[in-house]
Amino acid sequence: MSVPVMTVPGEPPASVSSAAVRATGLTKVYGSGETAVHALAGVDVAFARGEFTAIMGPSGSGKSTLMHCLAGLDTATSGQVFLGDTELTRLRDDELTRLRRDRIGFVFQAFNLLPVLDARENVVLPMQLAGRRPDPAWFDAVIARLGLRERLRHRPSELSGGQQQRVAIARALLPRPDVVFADEPTGNLDSRSGAEVLDLLRSSVRETGQTVVMVTHDPTAASYADRVVLLADGRPAGEVDRPTAASVLEALRGLGD
Amino acid sequence: MLSTTLADLRAHLPRLVAATLAVVIAVAFVVATLVLNETSRATLLRAAGAEYVGTDVVVTTTDGSSLAGAADAVAAVPGVRAVDPTASADVQARFPGRSEAYLRVQSVAADPELRWQTVTAGALPDRPGEIAVATTTEAAVGDVVAVTVHDPATGEVTSTTDATVTGLVDLGGDPSAGLFARGFAVPDQVTSWGASEPTELRVAGWPRTEPELLAAAVAPALGFAAVEVRTGEQAAEDAVAGVTGNRLALAAVLLVFATVAVLVAGLVIANTLAVLVAQRTRDLALLRCVGATSRQVRRSVLVEAAATGLAASALGVGAGVGLAALVSALVGTDSPLPLEGVSVPLYAVGAGLAVGTLTTLLAALGPARAATRVAPLAALRPVDAAPLRSRSGLLRFAAGLLLVLGGAALMALGVLTADVHPSLAGGAASFLGVVLLAQRAVPPVVAAAGRALGRVGGVPGRMAAGNASRNPRRTAATATALLIGVTLTTAMVVGAASTRATAQAGLDAAYPADVEIGAYGELPASLLPRLEDVDGVAGGTALLGVDVTGPDGQPLWVQGVDAAAATPVLRSTADLPLPAFGEALLPQWAADGYGLRTGDTLDLRMGERSRALTVVVEDTDFGTPLLSAADLRSLAPDATPATLWLRLDDGTGQRDAIDEVTELTGAAAPDAYVTGLAGERAAIDSVLDALLLVVTGLLGVAVLIALIGVGNTLALSVVERRQENGLLRAMGLTRGQLRGLLAWEAVLVAGVAAVLGVLLGGAYGLIGTASVLGGQDAVLLDVPWLQVGGIVVVATVAGLLASVLPARRAARTAPVAAIAAG
Repeated sequence: MSVPVMTVPGEPPASVSSAAVRATGLTKVYGSGETAVHALAGVDVAFARGEFTAIMGPSGSGKSTLMHCLAGLDTATSGQVFLGDTELTRLRDDELTRLRRDRIGFVFQAFNLLPVLDARENVVLPMQLAGRRPDPAWFDAVIARLGLRERLRHRPSELSGGQQQRVAIARALLPRPDVVFADEPTGNLDSRSGAEVLDLLRSSVRETGQTVVMVTHDPTAASYADRVVLLADGRPAGEVDRPTAASVLEALRGLGD
Repeated sequence: MLSTTLADLRAHLPRLVAATLAVVIAVAFVVATLVLNETSRATLLRAAGAEYVGTDVVVTTTDGSSLAGAADAVAAVPGVRAVDPTASADVQARFPGRSEAYLRVQSVAADPELRWQTVTAGALPDRPGEIAVATTTEAAVGDVVAVTVHDPATGEVTSTTDATVTGLVDLGGDPSAGLFARGFAVPDQVTSWGASEPTELRVAGWPRTEPELLAAAVAPALGFAAVEVRTGEQAAEDAVAGVTGNRLALAAVLLVFATVAVLVAGLVIANTLAVLVAQRTRDLALLRCVGATSRQVRRSVLVEAAATGLAASALGVGAGVGLAALVSALVGTDSPLPLEGVSVPLYAVGAGLAVGTLTTLLAALGPARAATRVAPLAALRPVDAAPLRSRSGLLRFAAGLLLVLGGAALMALGVLTADVHPSLAGGAASFLGVVLLAQRAVPPVVAAAGRALGRVGGVPGRMAAGNASRNPRRTAATATALLIGVTLTTAMVVGAASTRATAQAGLDAAYPADVEIGAYGELPASLLPRLEDVDGVAGGTALLGVDVTGPDGQPLWVQGVDAAAATPVLRSTADLPLPAFGEALLPQWAADGYGLRTGDTLDLRMGERSRALTVVVEDTDFGTPLLSAADLRSLAPDATPATLWLRLDDGTGQRDAIDEVTELTGAAAPDAYVTGLAGERAAIDSVLDALLLVVTGLLGVAVLIALIGVGNTLALSVVERRQENGLLRAMGLTRGQLRGLLAWEAVLVAGVAAVLGVLLGGAYGLIGTASVLGGQDAVLLDVPWLQVGGIVVVATVAGLLASVLPARRAARTAPVAAIAAG
């Protein structure tokens, strides 16, 4: 099954006004000449505000590259990326760095935390780098929601994998970013901790309207999202709305054909 | 396995080159020292021993008796081909357009084999009336030299002859070149110029004669005992030894610094290899996964170290020879330490290669052991740097503590007994202890400094502090390398300053006046005001002098000084207390002469007037009895100035001021004399300054090597923390902030090493000065704060500079690449 992606290349996506992040004609080529690898071969995609979207696809489909380009971690070969009204693809490195610091939150699969800082310091790191003070009430709310009150003084080495991911989520949510990108956030966790982390991500979308974009290869994880964007060979390959583990699995099988 | 090792080497070559820079520099230092030593020896051998080098056997009388009669007996010995009785005459020679100068003329051997002179133009003389002279005379072939011979006993001129210059002889770095010119003439000519009887025979054997055998054969042929028979080689060595006592000491000192450089290089390379192994943990683990035994892994690391060490040593040998050649070319033959070309002895090359390779290998032992502990599974998971706490660490701690305490006790003994030997031993022992303890002591200091830094440096500062204390062992090793250089440099600076202060204080006490003007007659009263107007003269005072009648009825020359006026002029009154009104300062000889002691009364008369003064006996360098000016005037109201004391402004203009004072004094009072210690003061200053400059330069090599270590350690950190830095960049750390992070880390480590080193070095410098100069009356300990502060700043800033390259590398990494590596 292949549901057409929202737009024809060249035309603005349908949900321009409400899009938190969108990309048009995005390509990313590694190497050149005959050895060139097209990690992204022209992607048009948009993510609505307050929506929890999962990006899925087989290994090598370009899902991580897409996320890196959307998050300003990597530069695209061509095409445009917009965060709200800001065109990322035009920014210089320092501007991009500041934008990540102020407007984007990250949760990675592993190695999310700096080992020399304790949990509290890790959580406030991006805001401190920006020279801003976290709003104490919001800080307390985030910490309470993530159940980290007793763990704030702990170093990452003293925390379990699930606790480390919760610290990472707290760090991502604290600056109230335009969008939180999560790259396989449950990849290193047992299923119970994984479910906990996904619940937290979903509730932050539901309760505070946070936009979350998650890359995953796990259909169960994807079922927590509002919508799943499928990717294959660096191109969009369909979507699943209100996904369940089963419907996602089916869509993925369809990609194989 | 070897092919893997070599492939590894090739892959890491650029990094290895940077890493082994420390070895290259240290080996270059060692080799340059040895090569310069050998060059200096060879130069002197060519110069001082030139006449012996090509000779088979040299026969010398030991009692100065003539060997003229022995020549035939030696010539008759089987195997002897020719004998040359060397005669020499000392004459006065006048070269065209030059004033007369002393010339030593030696006879030229008849046998061509025994002619050792290197002729650069023309030829050696064939007949009387001809002469060859050293190139240093700057004569030309064809010049006519007027030779005057004096009778050595009476000094009368006995003959005057002209000799034509037939050739020029290059004597290389002739050690006598600065003293007299040298010439060569046929034996008859030398004899007619009044040659002494020959006291030396140079003997040539037939080809393929062993000099030792020939010497053994020659000895019995000489009837009398007071003779020494040596091979030419021995004679040359002996001749060189006569002029090279200082040279050997210099080589020893240089080798001490070379040892320091090697030690520091060892620390740095150990650290660097640890870094390389850590970087390759995954590679090594993968090797283990595919079946390499831990022994193979260790061997691979050691082989890599040996290969790297050998290559770096070879580079170092080349650099060392080049450095020596450069120094040799700069110094040349016209210096107190003549150097000509470079002589590269095999042992210098061997020592350089061995020292560099062994140092690298020894330094690799630790990292190699760490490499064997890499578990195969490490290939599959991220690396955690775990701090090590081993038994060897505890042992090291105990040994270090023992060495520090024992060394401190020895140094205390040295200071108390003013003996430098226990201090030297104690200093070496305690410093070794400090190096061992540094591994324990440095990390807490870094952590404490880091906490302070965290308050001022913001997030990057706090993170840098955390990073610097994260791998205590590595941080300690890096800091120790720098600590050694800083400590030794500071010890030298403080020691020199204290020596200078003590020496100056001693001079001030012994010679309190910068300039003293005395006269055998009287000095015009108008002279002092005129001298005080001279530029560079700070002030002056006049001492009145008069002949009074002493207690024994004989005339006594006394001088009177106005203490109030003289005190600001004098640098010190420690050894020359100025007499108060009613006192007489008697030198020991005068007190002994009159049988007076301190507290007795001295009666002085002058015509009708007389004074009774209280005696103060003081053993001063001021030779005359000294009264207060008021007492003197009451005896002799019209006394005139006999001595002037002047004080000069501090600074560089003292030489000019003295010249002008001398000129004015000479014009006003022709028989007056001007003496002063201002010149000596400046001389001591310049000697100490030059010494300090050289030593600091030499220690600079150690500091340079240590800074390479700081750079390497940071480079390692950058590689190890690739993910972390990538995460930070993703979180919004700008490139500038990331560079700042590493800069803070470098400053922290280098700054702590510099501060600790300065504290230690200051203590060593003060203890050393107290031990060396403790025998003197008063040791002044002086810490030149500005220079010491300068050392801290330079070391810290240099550490900062060392972070530039690694920081750039870190900042270039795209955040996503760093995350992807996880």
